[in-house]
Amino acid sequence: MNVAITAQPKRKPSFSDWLKTLTFYELLVGMKATLKHLLNYKPITLQYPHEKRLLPENYRGMLALLRYDDGTEKCVGCDLCEAACPSRVIRVVSGEVPGEPTKRYSKEYYMDMTRCLFCGLCVDACPVDALGMTREFEWAVYDKRQLHLNKQQLLAIGDRAYPVREKRLELQHPNVAFFNVTFKHLPQKEN
Amino acid sequence: MEIGLRLAVSLAQIAAVMGVVMLTVMILTLAERKVLGWMQDRMGPMEVGPYGVLQPIADGLKLFFKEDIIPAGANKFLFTLAPILALVPAMIGFAVIPFGPTMTIELFGMQVKPFVISDINIGILYILAFASIGAYGIILGGWSSNSKYSLLGGLRSAAQVISYELNVGLAIVGVILLSGSLSLVKITEAQAGGFWNWFIIAMPFPQIFAFVVYVISSVAETNRVPFDLPEAESELVAGFFTEYSGMRFAFFFIAEYANMILVSCVAAALFLGGWNAPYPGTILGHLGLDALAWIENVVWFAAKVYFFLFLFFWLRATLPRLRYDQLMRFGWKVMLPIALGNIVLTAIAAYFFPR
Repeated sequence: MNVAITAQPKRKPSFSDWLKTLTFYELLVGMKATLKHLLNYKPITLQYPHEKRLLPENYRGMLALLRYDDGTEKCVGCDLCEAACPSRVIRVVSGEVPGEPTKRYSKEYYMDMTRCLFCGLCVDACPVDALGMTREFEWAVYDKRQLHLNKQQLLAIGDRAYPVREKRLELQHPNVAFFNVTFKHLPQKEN
Repeated sequence: MEIGLRLAVSLAQIAAVMGVVMLTVMILTLAERKVLGWMQDRMGPMEVGPYGVLQPIADGLKLFFKEDIIPAGANKFLFTLAPILALVPAMIGFAVIPFGPTMTIELFGMQVKPFVISDINIGILYILAFASIGAYGIILGGWSSNSKYSLLGGLRSAAQVISYELNVGLAIVGVILLSGSLSLVKITEAQAGGFWNWFIIAMPFPQIFAFVVYVISSVAETNRVPFDLPEAESELVAGFFTEYSGMRFAFFFIAEYANMILVSCVAAALFLGGWNAPYPGTILGHLGLDALAWIENVVWFAAKVYFFLFLFFWLRATLPRLRYDQLMRFGWKVMLPIALGNIVLTAIAAYFFPR
């Protein structure tokens, strides 16, 4: 392949080019721009710890576990969040509720927030809306092990971020059959 | 007794000038960050004190209490010597700068010139000589650190200072030809009586080209943007003072700012009439307050110096860094011929139209 590389025809510098070089024209244009910013001084920065940005409506911040209004945990230990998580943040240890064999809950629930990318897939995946995303973002810590959160910590985040809680599902919709809800009139399975 | 008194008065003068220079350095460190911030739509330091005005004190305290590290493998003697070698020449140049009008006052029965520490008849040569010694501080600091970044910064500085020191010297020759003296006091006095007598536009040959060459070369000589290749932070970490910390680092820092003030003072004294007002005499003098006329002169001198210092910040906010070959080509192929041509033309003009 023979491609003739021809030199770009050099434009003969005109008189005005010569004059611009001599008077540092380009330099002066730049100096004018910076001076204009100095004279119409409008800072675009915020003094962060003193003034904070308004977060957008759908802000995805720290994850939290939620409770019903009677204080019971929403989580039913179904592991769907664990399956949905792309970064393997969540680890759920599921178990039966003692005395209520048809009902399950999460014995242990861990989130390794060092890996979380705040995509919100776990929140979407949860069938009982037990996970929520808060608007907290100031989670800088000195030891990264402090970002390995257990169930109590996640519930505490949910408690402070979601003061208004839902009713239990069976109380919301009395005539509908629910996943993971025990009904008192049915015979209990023996352990 | 007589000599002891003379010494005491001189020391007092030196202390006063040093105090003013150090205060200006303090103001400059804050002013640079503020002006740079404003030009880039930021606020600059805001935390320490109202609007961050106490930031220089916080910086000074921090640097003072920082650990002073000498890296393993460094040449200890030269590593210690280099910051001193950078700071002392930058400070010593102020000895010959006239800050105000030439007058003598009677103090304890001897004649004292209050606005210049020592009016030596080779003032400008003295400043150039010590500015060159200041380069040794940078070069030795770079070499003795035993670090490749420092060494590269030091080498760049050596080449840059040699190239641009020459242009500074040649740009000044025109002024010396016109004024017929090397003493900064005499050069300033030769520009009295209105801005049309300032050497930047004075007849018979305006030194405007020399002025531009001087300003550009002095920016290069003080290692400021766009000629900050010795400390190019995006290439060489911090250049020649990469390995320095604590007060030694502060010495280099103060030296850089003191150098800025010094070249600004020299530019004001040589080209912009020094302490002379841009109109004949002084307003206070015309009003009959001759005893207070020096205030006006000193204010004019400060205004000119601060204009140059602002120019340094302004250039820093605007311009990107030059590449090394561009720097060298600009110095030797553009600035040097202009400076030489200026000398020839000024000499011819001064011969045919003597002042």
